[in-house]
Amino acid sequence: MIALTADTTFMSWLDSIGPLHGWAIATAVVVSACCAIVGTPLVVRRMSLLGDAISHAVLPGLVVAVLLGAQPGGIGVLVGATAAAMVTVWFTRFLYRQAGLWEDASVGVSFTTLFAAGVLLVTISGSRVDLDPGCVLYGILELVPFDTVDLYGWDIPRAFLSASFVLLLVSCGMWCTWRWQLFTAFDCDAAKAAGVPTVAVTVGLLVGVSLATVAGFVAVGAILVVAMLVVPAAAAERLVHRLHHAVWLAVMIAVVGAIGGYLLAWRFGTSAAGMMAVVLGVEYVIAILVAPDDGVVARLVSKLVYLWRVQCEDRLASFWRAEESGYARHESTVGGLVDRWLRVNGQVQKQENALVLTPQGRVNAEVIVRSHRLWETWLGRHVDLPVDHLHPPAEWIEHHLGEQVRKRIENELGNEDVDPHGSVIPREKR
Amino acid sequence: MTGNNSAPEVHADNPMLEWHDLTVAYGRRPVLWNVDFEIQDPCLFGIIGPNGAGKSTLLKASLDLVQRAGGTVRFWGQRLAEVRSKIAYVPQRETVDWDFPVSVMDVVRMGATSRLGWFRRGGKRERELALASLDHVGLADFAKRQIGKLSGGQQQRVFLARALAREAEIYLLDEPMAGVDAGSQEQIFSILAELRDQGKLVVAVHHDIRTAAQWFDAIALVDMRLVAAGPTAEVLTPENLTMTYSGRLGILDEIGEAVERRGRTS
Amino acid sequence: MIHLAFVMAFLPYNTLVVASGVAAVGCAAGVIGTFGVLRKRALVGDAAAHATLVGVALALLVTGQRNLAVLLVGGLVSAMVAIVLLVLIRKFTRTRDDAATAIVLSVSFGLGITLISGMVSRGIPGSGGLERFLLGHTASLTANDALLLGTVSVVGVLCIVVGLKEATMVAFDPDFAAASGWPAATLDLVLIALIAVMVVVGLPAAGAVLVTALVVIPPAVARQWTERLIPMLVIAGLVGFLSALSGVVISSLAVQVPTGPVVVLVATAFLVLSIFGAPCRGILWRTRAVSSLSSEFLTKTEVGVATPTGTERRP
Repeated sequence: MIALTADTTFMSWLDSIGPLHGWAIATAVVVSACCAIVGTPLVVRRMSLLGDAISHAVLPGLVVAVLLGAQPGGIGVLVGATAAAMVTVWFTRFLYRQAGLWEDASVGVSFTTLFAAGVLLVTISGSRVDLDPGCVLYGILELVPFDTVDLYGWDIPRAFLSASFVLLLVSCGMWCTWRWQLFTAFDCDAAKAAGVPTVAVTVGLLVGVSLATVAGFVAVGAILVVAMLVVPAAAAERLVHRLHHAVWLAVMIAVVGAIGGYLLAWRFGTSAAGMMAVVLGVEYVIAILVAPDDGVVARLVSKLVYLWRVQCEDRLASFWRAEESGYARHESTVGGLVDRWLRVNGQVQKQENALVLTPQGRVNAEVIVRSHRLWETWLGRHVDLPVDHLHPPAEWIEHHLGEQVRKRIENELGNEDVDPHGSVIPREKR
Repeated sequence: MTGNNSAPEVHADNPMLEWHDLTVAYGRRPVLWNVDFEIQDPCLFGIIGPNGAGKSTLLKASLDLVQRAGGTVRFWGQRLAEVRSKIAYVPQRETVDWDFPVSVMDVVRMGATSRLGWFRRGGKRERELALASLDHVGLADFAKRQIGKLSGGQQQRVFLARALAREAEIYLLDEPMAGVDAGSQEQIFSILAELRDQGKLVVAVHHDIRTAAQWFDAIALVDMRLVAAGPTAEVLTPENLTMTYSGRLGILDEIGEAVERRGRTS
Repeated sequence: MIHLAFVMAFLPYNTLVVASGVAAVGCAAGVIGTFGVLRKRALVGDAAAHATLVGVALALLVTGQRNLAVLLVGGLVSAMVAIVLLVLIRKFTRTRDDAATAIVLSVSFGLGITLISGMVSRGIPGSGGLERFLLGHTASLTANDALLLGTVSVVGVLCIVVGLKEATMVAFDPDFAAASGWPAATLDLVLIALIAVMVVVGLPAAGAVLVTALVVIPPAVARQWTERLIPMLVIAGLVGFLSALSGVVISSLAVQVPTGPVVVLVATAFLVLSIFGAPCRGILWRTRAVSSLSSEFLTKTEVGVATPTGTERRP
């Protein structure tokens, strides 16, 4: 644990991290990118839990591959784990389709079974398979830089190499089949009807997921791979609407999560893999808070703005109605925030201790009153509603009528110029 | 919830069911505007309109299953919570998992026991009530069958039997004829008519105008708002039907969207 | 059965303790899991299980005691928080349900790992190997632990027995239940909470994956054998009980075989057998039914018999 004193700058702190950490971070970044790329279609297609299942099923695949003599971290392990993942997917499908089990229960059955088989194999085979259950849970990212292979004179971590290979494979695969992936994700049945080989596309995606999972397994463990697969995609999906934008954004979120998680973990002396998942979780929370259309902040702001607008418009209209009924002046509730705002905006002005509308304010107020009365008249005509029930809806809708709709209503009503209560509907001023 | 076998204290002067200015929004977007109507006496009442007109929404809002944006619903002039035991609801058939491991009898008994208090399972009376309801819809022979192994019409009748077992005064049915063959439709309608003759109010969401004209005493035409309501013959006029079915009011859609954005229409 | 009793009688005391604890959990998880599975919430238990790690770590940090009861309480609290978060995400964001489950599961687990490994690096006593909590340590179950497991299991099953009417109504048709005046949403939450309690309590005995399996597989087995809810509950409980018991017995007979995976595999074996062999729903039975369909048509003379749509697979 390195105490970060006040005078240590961020850069020198970064320097102190050193090349070993550099390799670990690079591996984490590559793994995260892989997972984010395949995770986005997975999340969009409601197959997130299949990702969970695959990540658990990788264990027996790894064990069998190692028992059959594959080199840990090599191609053989990749093949074995992918095969095991495919077995899970097949088993899940079998349970769902042939045995008529519920969808999520099928997932639950298949992954627990394969994981149990994996654990059993590890224990039975004893010393022949050197797999630590801890590695299964949270990976060994910190140890990645120590297991290197010699590549043209460079000592490159094995995990980094295999992850880069997977990244290449996955991004090429996605690039080539992108149109199909998009079509299948959007509407599987329509894609099938249009001749897209949806089964191949789905299998391809799942192979990609299992490759990414295997790559991530070594670095962060079975369960945190799920975070890498699902969280960036779910966050990105809240922020942008198009799938390819979502993939790019998910990759960025994942990379930020990887780097940020590693540095924070190192700073606080804790597990890098765990911290990455936490950072990803924080990013997801930020995403749902600031999401432009349905984010919590966006909703709150829009609500406050709306409430304020309603307050102002109601006040303005009340000035106008007062004028209409003959009081030239409106009694001033001095100090009201709304009144002050209207004055600042030049909608009302002070005359001898009372507030009156300015010409501009009068025009704006008239629009509100006009909307109100037009809506009352329209409702009265189209909706089976007693006259005394017309006011409340109009009090609400008056704030939502734009110029064109007002015109349309006016055209529809013909030359009706009196509302159901007998008040004159003010004309549009141009 | 609590059982009430005595005659319900129906306030004769209050309408059985009234909607006051009922507006319902999904999210912020209004999907049903200002429905205002009352049903005075027991009758067979149809809610008719095109797809997406808010027919089912009207029913669900009446039962507090969806939130109301405004307005009130009264049964005999009282709030729903006070008269719940006299109201039975028949949801759409697709809303449940028909592979659920319950028999026809179990489902109908749910209707009977839903009126009992917490943790009370009911006994002989509830069983007999369920059996009688099942007999009423002509499915007594199927009591032991798993509900998935029935035809669409039979499933709908099971739902109806479950509502009957509540011994209610007002029946609210959501699309009871959807996916039902002509024979079963006839049968269900005659059960509903029978209920009406016993002095119960039956409100059903329905989509077919021809059968509606044949069976319903009164009709509400709904298309995002109440177009017209009243006795069937008066309501089913060509103008009203055109207003309901062809004139999807662009204005309501547009304003609905503006309300959702909390802005103005263009 | 007689064989089983015979084997049990000759088991060493330790194995007997473990067996009774795990079997109680298996039975209760099967019963309670039935409702989870029927409500299509099979994996909520999985999410709850992984979320316990946070609470376990915090409980140790706050109390400084590595005592099973204390850790369990901590785990239970954090599992509940996770479930509430899950419900909130489902309700207030447009994130899909399955993604929400995966997010809560993995992020809360990540937080737990971070906390524990941070505690280890600071040398907080008792924090070493705390993450193994999720793997379970069946063999080291004490008589007290078994008693605790048994008690909670009995209470859990009692809850279901007492509230069977309410649970069934809400699980089958929440709209009807709500329209009839029952607090459907609350009851739903209570059902989920029950699953969470079961999962958390089962954790030290069995581990996260095994507990998830015990919540999901026995109900799936039971569904193959019956079309009614109460028999399904009984069969699910029995299957959970038997697979837990046989798992413990097998692993105690063979050297070096861990209990948890064996229990899962036994349960899966039950499931596969049922999928093929169970009457009515079993694949073998259905194949035979198709071949004898013509003769059945000839023998059926009643009027108004429905077409058996139930054997078709779900869309």
